[in-house]
Amino acid sequence: MNIVVGISDMKVSGTSGDNIITYSLGSCIGVAIYDPLAKVGGILHYMLPESSLDKEKAERNPFMFADTGIPTLFKSAYALGAKKQRMKVVIAGGAQILDQKGFFNIGKRNHMALRKLFFRNNVMSTYEDVGGSVNRTIRLDISTGEVSIKISGNGEIKI
Amino acid sequence: MKSVESLISEIKNLKPFPKIAQQLLERIEDPNSSSEDIAELILYDPAITANLLRVCNSAFFSLPRKIESVHEAVNILGMNHIVDLVMVKFGSENFKTSQEGYGLHEGELWRHAVSSALISKDLAARMKIEGAHSIFTASLLKDLGKVVLDRFAANAFEKIYNTAKNKGISFRDAEKAIIGIDHAEIAGLIAESWGFPPKLVKMIRNHHSPKDCEGPEAAIIYMADCICMMMGIGVGADGLSYYFYEDIARDLGITPDVIQEIMVDFSIGMQKVESLIGAD
Repeated sequence: MNIVVGISDMKVSGTSGDNIITYSLGSCIGVAIYDPLAKVGGILHYMLPESSLDKEKAERNPFMFADTGIPTLFKSAYALGAKKQRMKVVIAGGAQILDQKGFFNIGKRNHMALRKLFFRNNVMSTYEDVGGSVNRTIRLDISTGEVSIKISGNGEIKI
Repeated sequence: MKSVESLISEIKNLKPFPKIAQQLLERIEDPNSSSEDIAELILYDPAITANLLRVCNSAFFSLPRKIESVHEAVNILGMNHIVDLVMVKFGSENFKTSQEGYGLHEGELWRHAVSSALISKDLAARMKIEGAHSIFTASLLKDLGKVVLDRFAANAFEKIYNTAKNKGISFRDAEKAIIGIDHAEIAGLIAESWGFPPKLVKMIRNHHSPKDCEGPEAAIIYMADCICMMMGIGVGADGLSYYFYEDIARDLGITPDVIQEIMVDFSIGMQKVESLIGAD
């Protein structure tokens, strides 16, 4: 089954045959995780770096922010039997409009929030395709753990 | 490749924007017209009335009871919404196809059009800027040039894409370099050929170059477009390859936090927006 992850959304699965996909990552970041032994994985599509912006809305939808969405993604995969030390982690997105700097650069801040969180929790990403001004789509095949990233106008790469 | 002149002549192949829409735009901007004057225009068109009532009763508004007449719709939702909804109906006519050159599936450019129009309106309200109707309409129609370029300059897209990428210039600058005209200029010509008020034409033409336009309107439309791009709504092969002018945001008083709040609110209401996008 094709499972689509929308903006500020997350899906995990341990069902062989499922394909999880999130389209059109602008400055948002897509995090795909997969445990090859448990054959469990998921994708998070978060939009903004920090939930401190609006705690109440973060509670209603934790997938909107890096600091609430990423822990929920990992925990949801653990609940299906995945283990952190076996996890393949692929990151895509965090693009920026040309000449976007500093605090207005949400793509870059999204990426920094993720790195901070990964560092603190000893998570290493297997592959990252982040930044630039391109639009990305990320797909995860639950049967094989294969992740592919498609850049609009530029074809697809398998990781 | 087609010449600029022949591209411009392709504008006539778009479905024309109905006369009634222009009259609506004129009346809404005219301080002497009342809401009755405006409702009157809508009332005499059964197709618009039917569509309007369907949208008013859609999940977008989630009203507690069914609206059965235009008068009722005006009373409950306010003239403000009604005019925008009529524009959405007319605007949809040309947008619903796919734009393969831009890498956009069917309906994606339309999703971008409606989303950026709604975000423009939200921004205008936050900035307490008047004339939100023309901002909404201009925002809704600003990418019509993409429809024309995609349809009639399809073979140029690989070159445009590579030029933008290799030279590090914006996609729009690459359009101009390869074709001789860009999608914003074409959209301006379309608006002009449809007899839109000059102010509206200017907003559409300058949606990527708001510094060439007096007043805050084009700047609002520009910022809403940037926010949509960041959210990845209706973004295709052109990606986020447009310039960001921080001074435009600062002049409008838009902080990074305002941008983030708008993104949060918009993504929460996304399902409702989908019902508006698919309403006809």
